[in-house]
Amino acid sequence: METTALVEVQSLYKRYTPNGLYAVADVSFEIHTGELFSLLGPNGAGKTTTISVISTLLQPTSGAVRVAGHDVQRNPMAVRNVIGVVPQELALYDDLTAHENLRFWGEMRGLHGAELAQEIAEKLELMELADRAKERVSTFSGGMKRRLNLAVGLLGRPKLLMLDEPTVAIDPQSRRYILDWVKKLREQGVTILYTTHYMEEAQELSDRIGIIDHGKLIALGTFDELIQLVGQHETLRLRLLQEGGGAELAAALQSLEGDRIAGIIEASATNGEVLINVTSAEATLAAVIGTATGLGLSVRTIDIREPNLEAVFLRLTGRALRD
Amino acid sequence: MRKLTVLAFKEALVAFRDRGALAMMLVTPLALTLIMMAAFGSGSNSTPISDIPVLLLNRDTGTFGQVLTDIFFSSSVGNLVAPTLIEDESEAAARARVDADEVAALVIIPQDFSARIFPFGARAQALTGVDVMALSSDAALTPEQQAGLAQAFMESQTRSEEARTDSVIVEIYASPNWRISALVVKAIVSQGLERLNIQIAGTTNIVARQATAMLQAGQTDVDMASAMSAMSAGNAGQGTAGGAGVDLPIKLVTTSTTGRGFSWLGYYASSMAVLFLMFAVTSGGRTLLAERQRGTLPRLLISPTSALTILLGKMGGIVLTGVLQMLILWGATTLIGAYWGHPGGVLLTIVLLVTCASSVGALISAWARTPGQASAIGSAITLIGGALSGSFFVRWNLPQWVQYLSLVTPNAWGIEILSRLQAGRAATTILPWLGGMVLLTIFYYALALVGFRRQFK
Repeated sequence: METTALVEVQSLYKRYTPNGLYAVADVSFEIHTGELFSLLGPNGAGKTTTISVISTLLQPTSGAVRVAGHDVQRNPMAVRNVIGVVPQELALYDDLTAHENLRFWGEMRGLHGAELAQEIAEKLELMELADRAKERVSTFSGGMKRRLNLAVGLLGRPKLLMLDEPTVAIDPQSRRYILDWVKKLREQGVTILYTTHYMEEAQELSDRIGIIDHGKLIALGTFDELIQLVGQHETLRLRLLQEGGGAELAAALQSLEGDRIAGIIEASATNGEVLINVTSAEATLAAVIGTATGLGLSVRTIDIREPNLEAVFLRLTGRALRD
Repeated sequence: MRKLTVLAFKEALVAFRDRGALAMMLVTPLALTLIMMAAFGSGSNSTPISDIPVLLLNRDTGTFGQVLTDIFFSSSVGNLVAPTLIEDESEAAARARVDADEVAALVIIPQDFSARIFPFGARAQALTGVDVMALSSDAALTPEQQAGLAQAFMESQTRSEEARTDSVIVEIYASPNWRISALVVKAIVSQGLERLNIQIAGTTNIVARQATAMLQAGQTDVDMASAMSAMSAGNAGQGTAGGAGVDLPIKLVTTSTTGRGFSWLGYYASSMAVLFLMFAVTSGGRTLLAERQRGTLPRLLISPTSALTILLGKMGGIVLTGVLQMLILWGATTLIGAYWGHPGGVLLTIVLLVTCASSVGALISAWARTPGQASAIGSAITLIGGALSGSFFVRWNLPQWVQYLSLVTPNAWGIEILSRLQAGRAATTILPWLGGMVLLTIFYYALALVGFRRQFK
């Protein structure tokens, strides 16, 4: 992999109103040519704002952002010429056919003639939409629309492809298709900035991952580097019979941390689950169940997970990624 | 430029693929034109009309011209009109007064009106001194008078043949700005002609009876009496006797100051087209907000295309859609008989009008916050603008202050200019209106630009 920085983000700050909160604060990172870089964070963490600034849609409040050496504020048109963006929303015209959509967006990227025709054919083939090319998008399923949305982002063979949560609200089959497709692009050497709040996706796809929360980049590195932040810890995931009992159990475990039950690093409750970051699941499981029972709570299911980004996020923020 | 064209074409394509929008753009205005035609096309109007200033120029030396002018002063007309009889030599001045909109219309009765519509009567009076119109069925005629009547009849036979092919023309020279009034004047003249019709039919009957009596008394030869009797069967040039229908060789021609009369179909065809053009362009303006909402606008903004190109492309698409809509409506209504005016003038007006209308769409789009808000504001502006400017009621019947107020809407300028084109008015009277519409367009686009700068920032 080349180490040239295609994207340089330095001390990026962005707020939408003069005295409002910062949506992004002091974010700095680089994306190297040919790299797949993921921004992982919960909804509202600042992922889309960061992509919007890099893609010239928003102006930074302060800081510097360069893409392929072009400053996004001083030379936005040069930046737009080298990027492709796949927005979170399906940015398509429902009353046009798939072919017409690709033609329109291709023209907007400055393509025309034989070059455009060839690109359209390629993208339709790539997205397995060739047989539906002449049909209006309004007749497409959600997964097909999502694939067409991706194809539009690829028009003009951009140097940098930005994918903003491309797997939100789609069926598992389409999700798998998109993830495989992103991997293929990665293998072809396309530089990709991928945002997601699914840690599995970031884990599976990325060369490097930036974890963002409340507008701040709280961790940055390869998967292994991030795991090192929490050590080789496991995560216990408990579901209780009693709704609302999770918070009580998490608080109890948290207060016992490093005391009666050795090995509990972090505990939090979310969406009816209790997540417990532990040094060894085997060593702590009995004590955890005992604590729950002592509180009058009954455990319905227990799940033990290997060290993952969820645990990293939990360790860094004290909250689960999906909070 | 290429991107601008692609954007504009895409806008038009999307608009014309929307069946609901198509119904609104094309089918509804056509249907409403026909409905309005059916409702108001006969000239009925709820606006009270009285004391319509009308000039009467009677050049006829016979009695029928007098009958026709008398009806304007009769009690049956009441205070509907305020007629003024004028002298022959002042025709040019009278036409000028109509041109200046001082009076609604000038009615011109030609010099030989009586002689041509009833040549027998005129000739009989000349030869015998008998006013056949005053002849009673039991009047005693001398043999000389009977011979004179017979001769007059024979001569009138030839003249009446000519009259059939060369109708006498009663002209109503009307101002296009007094459209309803002109229709009222026309109705009164028609009523007068009907009265003449009945009088001539009655006279014809009386003469026929005289002829029959002469024949029975052996006071004339059979050929002459038969010929005169035949007059009662409708061969005397004045039509059929029997009192009911007499086919007078009269042609009533209504001309406007520029030579073309008012047409309800033409008026409503263009005014409805303008109204629904406003619906289409205000809805088109909403698409910019809709694009923002569905994410295609941000995608456009991060393509290597300038914001100005995007804006111009969007507006170009709205104008293109509007022009196509107007052209289709122009063509369709022309097929059912509407006249819009000189094609070149209509085309220029359509382009400028659609551009002006699009400025309202842009203004709404620039300042509204959501597509729903833009849609509601657009509909309200279109309907109020339509009512103010004469889409539902004839513009010239609205109070003067409403007519002035309506000039804030493109509808008013469009209807005014298209009406002038329909009336065949000279370019010099239309160009200032086109200029005014262009200024309104610039003003609204300037306001919209301020809003767009705020949005795109």
